[in-house]
Parts: sequence; structure tokens; C-alpha cells
Amino acid sequence: MSNKIIAFCCEHSAYLAADLAGKQGLHYPENVRLIRVPCAGRVDVTHILKAFEKGAAAVLVVGCEEGACQHSTGNTRAKERVNYSQTLLQEIGMDNRRVEMVNVAPGAPHKFVRIIKEMNEKIKEVGEAK
Amino acid sequence: METRIGIFICDCGGSIKNIDFSTIKDKIAKIPHVVMVNLASNLCLDEGKEELLSRIKSDNINRVVIAACSPEFKEHIFQQLLEKAGLNGHLLSMANIREQCAWVHEGDVTGKALELIRMAANEALLLEPLEKREFAVKEEVLVVGGGVLGINSALQLSRVGLQTILLEREVDLGGENREFEALWGTDMSSMVKAVEADENIEIITSAEIMEIEGEVGDFSVRIMKGAEEISRSFGAIVFATGHRVEDIAPGLQLKDNANVISQHGFAQMLQASTTEPGPKTVGFVLGFSDGNSRFSTLATLNNALACRQKWDSEVYIFCKNVEVDSEGVENLYRTTRERGVVFVKYGDFPKFSIEKGVVKVEAKDIFAGEEISLTCDLLVTDEILLPAEGTEALSSLLSMKMDARGFHQDENVYFYPVASNRKGIFFVGDCRGNLDPNRALADVSSAVMSAYELLSSGKVVAEVERVKVDPQKCRTCLTCIRVCPHGAIQLVRMSNGDTDGENEVAKISDPACDGCGICAAICPAKAIKFEGYSDKQILAQVEMIGAS
Repeated sequence: MSNKIIAFCCEHSAYLAADLAGKQGLHYPENVRLIRVPCAGRVDVTHILKAFEKGAAAVLVVGCEEGACQHSTGNTRAKERVNYSQTLLQEIGMDNRRVEMVNVAPGAPHKFVRIIKEMNEKIKEVGEAK
Repeated sequence: METRIGIFICDCGGSIKNIDFSTIKDKIAKIPHVVMVNLASNLCLDEGKEELLSRIKSDNINRVVIAACSPEFKEHIFQQLLEKAGLNGHLLSMANIREQCAWVHEGDVTGKALELIRMAANEALLLEPLEKREFAVKEEVLVVGGGVLGINSALQLSRVGLQTILLEREVDLGGENREFEALWGTDMSSMVKAVEADENIEIITSAEIMEIEGEVGDFSVRIMKGAEEISRSFGAIVFATGHRVEDIAPGLQLKDNANVISQHGFAQMLQASTTEPGPKTVGFVLGFSDGNSRFSTLATLNNALACRQKWDSEVYIFCKNVEVDSEGVENLYRTTRERGVVFVKYGDFPKFSIEKGVVKVEAKDIFAGEEISLTCDLLVTDEILLPAEGTEALSSLLSMKMDARGFHQDENVYFYPVASNRKGIFFVGDCRGNLDPNRALADVSSAVMSAYELLSSGKVVAEVERVKVDPQKCRTCLTCIRVCPHGAIQLVRMSNGDTDGENEVAKISDPACDGCGICAAICPAKAIKFEGYSDKQILAQVEMIGAS
């Protein structure tokens, strides 16, 4: 059983927000593992599915706020891929709430923390990974 | 060559208290390929750096893992150190055990730190060196738009020693804002003279851009001047293409009436008239466009003041709110009131009608709470700021997005103020949105600085083939070219090896690439490899989540 969350974090926004959370001494559950990516648009469906294969309970793709992507379309493309991953999860009978795309600005550590906490709540609902 | 990983762990001067470093040291020493683990207290200070340098050399390490603070913080410093030790700076993988582990969790987090280090070490196994190379750039800049901002840009570029071509669509330089010299604080005719006399500046008028190809440092631009075709290349391009205004806001059905005039028309009238008496009563309307434009507020206040001073007319300004967010406008507003200009703040839109050759305005002043009926000899309308003609065509020429209102690059927090999603292309002033003169002139300086920074040394340094298309795998589907937000991918001909034939394959320009990896994720043939963020390297981290 694992309750781990893999969070693919854009290095221009979410990763910085997570760093800021550390600097401000905010707290969030320990079960999240951040993987730094150059843009949310770098994240592919295979990365998301691999995370589930390796036992993640949930996957987050965290990119810049809409309309503020450093690479113009990265976050919208990531959103499309996450949506597609959700349909795949549904097809194999998994709860598609386990994967989610969220937007966080680099200066928004509280939002980042809230997202991690909310995902943990969801894991309680949908169950840990087997 | 054998992979030898050296792991350096830093407790950040003792600020990381909830990790048991000795346990970690014992456990990670057993990871395959790890030849040494070093515990340090201040890796980023001189003593720590020296130790790192000497251990890399003495233990013959060729992959370095540093478990310390966030890579956003000190990664570049450690990369430089690696290079000093004779190692490629890219052979470094960092585990963020401070900001994203020790500082955000309560209680002991040794387990998580261990897993983060395992993730980094597993990624480090797959890292490959990346070389840097210098790419020559043309020390020449194209400035598009011969208005006040274009001329300013050209003059400033010339002053920093860059050859400049100033391109104007119309026959004369000067642009749309000639009438508002006072607002810009400039004398247009002397500026035109200066730009004409400048040896570093070449002026091409009555010309349009047909095609822009290439990348930062070497844009080849095809310009048509009448039937004549001019092809030149430039290191950078500055667009100062301005805006256009629409005279009368919708709902005010008084177009083509002699008593109703636009701000620009009124400013021309003020400039032209010398002695004859002006209109006795003048009304201005503000706030008809959604959200006052800064420029039209400024123009209204300036015109109202000038009108009081020149003709001693009675002046009324019908407005919702006077938005004074530009520098000095609060002061201007006060001065305008002190000089006797009357502000009527309406709630619902006033009614306008023509009666006996004068314009009748009926409005309800929300502060006085009274219906006001006034007749004006002249009504000066609000103007809506719209993207200049050709903005859309230009955007598609550059394969760039426009903002929701159709301007170039308005208010993107990351690109501000003037840079665009393509390196070497800058937008200044009104072509990127609603700006007042101060902000627009600051844009110009900002773009000139950026162009100078980019071109003055004659070269840009970029990593070679950080993102690379494998020509053997490329199926020329053009997907990457379509999705690249930085216009960095082009088709090139390449011999296909075994036969005499040639294939067309996608190629990524190193200096133009901004390293987002969107192409690598989308390529259906998986032909694009992004070193540092390749599929394998990302998955190597994912694999470690259950491994502790």
C-alpha cells in the first residue's frame, strides 16, 4: 500500500512555489515527491502512467497559471494530456480523480500547500494504491 | 567508461535538523555506482567548495549528486564548480532536501530525504555531458514602425552603437501620435531630423515586411518597398507598430457631424489654430470604451487644459471615473480642475442630440444628484484603443499568439516588459497594449538594453543539442514545428545515410530554443531527446518512489 503523490512541477512556477513554502515554514504532508520539469508541457502521458505503475496513489501536474505560461501553451497542453490520462484511468477501472492538473503561480506557496492537502483528502476517498 | 557517482550531502550550516544524516550516509553508500558519500556543513561556502573540488578529483568522480538546498538556488554555482574540477557542468543532479523536505515537514524526514537522494542518483546515472558553443550574431537591428517610439528606439540603438534600420509603412516618419507632442514631451520634427542625420540609422519608408525567417542573431527579413524587394538579415527586431484608435464609441450616434470630433482631430485643431476664437463651450466624453485607456484619459485632460488656456472656453468632461494610474496624472487632474474644467460624473450613459447646430448633452451627475442639460459647441469623443492594422498578419508571420484583445504580448508576467516568446524579438509601447507615454518610453529603453545585451558582444552562447531531433527517427510530421512556442524548429535537408537521397527532417536551433520540452513530449515518433529532462531521466526518478 502506498499513498505517495508524484507531482510534476514546472520549474518556472510550481517548483518555486514549493521552495517558497519551505522558506516560509509552511507544512504539508510528507507523501509528495516533486519532480522538476522545465514546463508542464514536458509531461507526457507515459510519465503519468509510469508513476501509477510504480505505485503512486496520485499524480499531480502543476504548471503556471492559465495565460501566464512561460512557454505560452505548455500548461494548456499539459491539461489536455492530463484529461487524456483521466480517460485512460477510467477505461481500466481506476478512479480518474487520482490524476489532476493544477495551476500555481511562483509566488503562491499557500495554494501549493492547499493542493497537496486536497489531494491527500482525495486519496482518503479513493483509497491508497495497491 | 565506468560511472562513478559521488554524493555530497549538506546540512546547510546545521539548519536541517530533522534528517538523520549518518543513517542516510550508510544507506546510500550501498547504491550501485556510488563510490563516495560526503557529509558537509556548508557546501556553498569556500571550505565546502574546496572539499567538493578535491573529492571530485581524488575519487575520480564523473557524476555528482548534491543533496542540499533547492537547485533553483545554487545549482548554477555547483555547475561552475564541476567545470572547475574538469567535469561537464551538466553532470550534476540535485536532491532538494531542504526547501522541499526538511523545512516543510514536521518530525523526522530521513526516509523522504533518502528517497529524494535515490531519485537524484538514479537520474545522475543517465546524465550526459552538454557542450556550450558560441553562435555569431548580426550586430544590426530592425525597428518596425516610424512613430515616436520607433524613432526613439532607433536613436537609442544607434547611441549604443548598433546599426539600425527604421522601417515605416507610410510615406513619412511620425506615426499616429504627432498631435500629442506635449504628452510625449518631445519635439517630433527635431527627432525626425536627428534620426535622418544619424549615420547608424538607415530609414526605409513606404515599405512592408513580407517574410521573417531565421532565429535570434540571424533573422532574414524580406521587405517590399513598392515593387522593389529588399532582403536583409538582423540580429534582433524591435516592433513599435503602435495602435489604432476608433473615433466614436458605439452608442454615440453622432458620427460625421461637424460638432463632434475625435481626440486626435481636436489636438490637430488646437495645433493649427493661431488667433481666431475657438469654440465657446467644449464637452469631452470619457469612459465609453470598456475600461478607460490610459492614453485617452491623458489626452482628454491635456486637451481640456490646452483648450482652457488657449481659448478660455467653458470645458466640461463627462466621465465615469478618471483613472489616474499613470505618473503625474493625479496632479494633471487637479490642475485641470483648478483651471476651471468641470467634471460631470455620470452613472448611466448621457444622452446626446444635435439641436440647432450645437450638441445637447443630458446627463445625471451622480454626486450632485441632479439632471444636467448642457449645450456644447463642440463635443470631443472618447477613443477606443485597438490593435494596429496588420497586427494579426504580423503575428502569423512570426507564429506568435496575440492576447485576448488582439494585441501583441500584453501583460504576460514572464515576458514583461518587452521580450516575446521568440528570442530576439521585442514589442514596445502600444502594440502590446494599453500604455501611457511614460510606460511606453520605458519599454523602448528596456528593449534597447535587451538588444544591446544580446548583440553587443557579437555572439550568443548556447548549449549544443540540449534538445535534439534524431534524424533517423524523424518522420517529418511537422508536429514539433507547429507546437514550438519559440519558433525554434525548422525543416532541414539531410542525407539519409545509405542512399544518395535526401530527407527533410526537423532541426532545433540551439540559440533560439528556450528549453520547454513541449516538442519532446508531443513527438509521436519519440524522436526528440531533451538532455536533462529526457523520458528516461524523468522516469528514472519516478521509478525510485517505491524503492526505499
